[in-house]
Amino acid sequence: MADKSLVTEMHQVQMAIELIELGARLQVLETETDLSRARLIKLYKEVRGMSPPKGMLPFSTDWFITWLPNIHSSLFFNIYQRLIEDHDCERMGAFVRAFRLYLEQLSLENAEPVLGLTRAWTLVRFFESDLLELCECTSCEANFVVHAHTPAQSFVCGICQPPSRAGKTRKRREAASHAMARQSDRLTITALVELEDAADRRSA
Amino acid sequence: MTMPIDSLLSDIQDTNLSYLLLVQRLLNEDRATAMFRLKLDEPMADLLASLSVKQLSQLARSNQLLCRLCFDEPEQLTRLIEDPRDQGLGQIHAALLMASSSRQQGVPPVRMSRR
Repeated sequence: MADKSLVTEMHQVQMAIELIELGARLQVLETETDLSRARLIKLYKEVRGMSPPKGMLPFSTDWFITWLPNIHSSLFFNIYQRLIEDHDCERMGAFVRAFRLYLEQLSLENAEPVLGLTRAWTLVRFFESDLLELCECTSCEANFVVHAHTPAQSFVCGICQPPSRAGKTRKRREAASHAMARQSDRLTITALVELEDAADRRSA
Repeated sequence: MTMPIDSLLSDIQDTNLSYLLLVQRLLNEDRATAMFRLKLDEPMADLLASLSVKQLSQLARSNQLLCRLCFDEPEQLTRLIEDPRDQGLGQIHAALLMASSSRQQGVPPVRMSRR
């Protein structure tokens, strides 16, 4: 550690800052950089303005198989895989780029990103330890994240064949009713404006 | 009859030139991300990035389009458009499919699984 190159260290600090900005937990930074825990905590506080959250990282592969998380995870991992396999990106470079591309795609649709950076990193680690793999949907031919050793012959993805209650969460319902309320507010405002216009015309 | 053909021809050339200029702008921004977005391999990306404006406009002057659709099979596209339950996942599905496998240069899709 004593003869660590300053340039390497600077690159690592830069990467750590980028990861923190994108939402990385401390465990991600500890694994991916050689910076000391004390320095990482200091860096985290400076970038985020608060102490890093404590506690363990999510460690189950099951989350990535549930309906909406699976679709988001599959999008992210396909991008990551393209960058690694087709465009010769190194691992962390590909990871940050893929995560940015994933966020970018969702922002185009005004959709909430379901996959956070730390989750995305755990996903990559699960692939690296062969707990998860990609499987081609027999209907749409896109690749989806599945548990290792899932039979591929009859695999159909969650978009082509959504489970019966897919997307019908309480959060969704509440969001929908909020949207309805907002729309009715807008309608009321439009009606009021029209009434005012009419009054103006009468007085003119 | 000549008028609309002329305007279509100039549209094709405009599209070609816009495409080539976009390629260069994207590659200058971040090379790896651009190669992913454009589905270009490394030698082609390097070559296109090195071309002069004069060379770009020569390339663009054609009655055929330079870039082509990245979906090969109409069945795939149909499946994207006909979302049976309309869960608002059409765009993410399209993005997933486009990112799914090395489609460029007719390379067969790579499976990550170990079978």
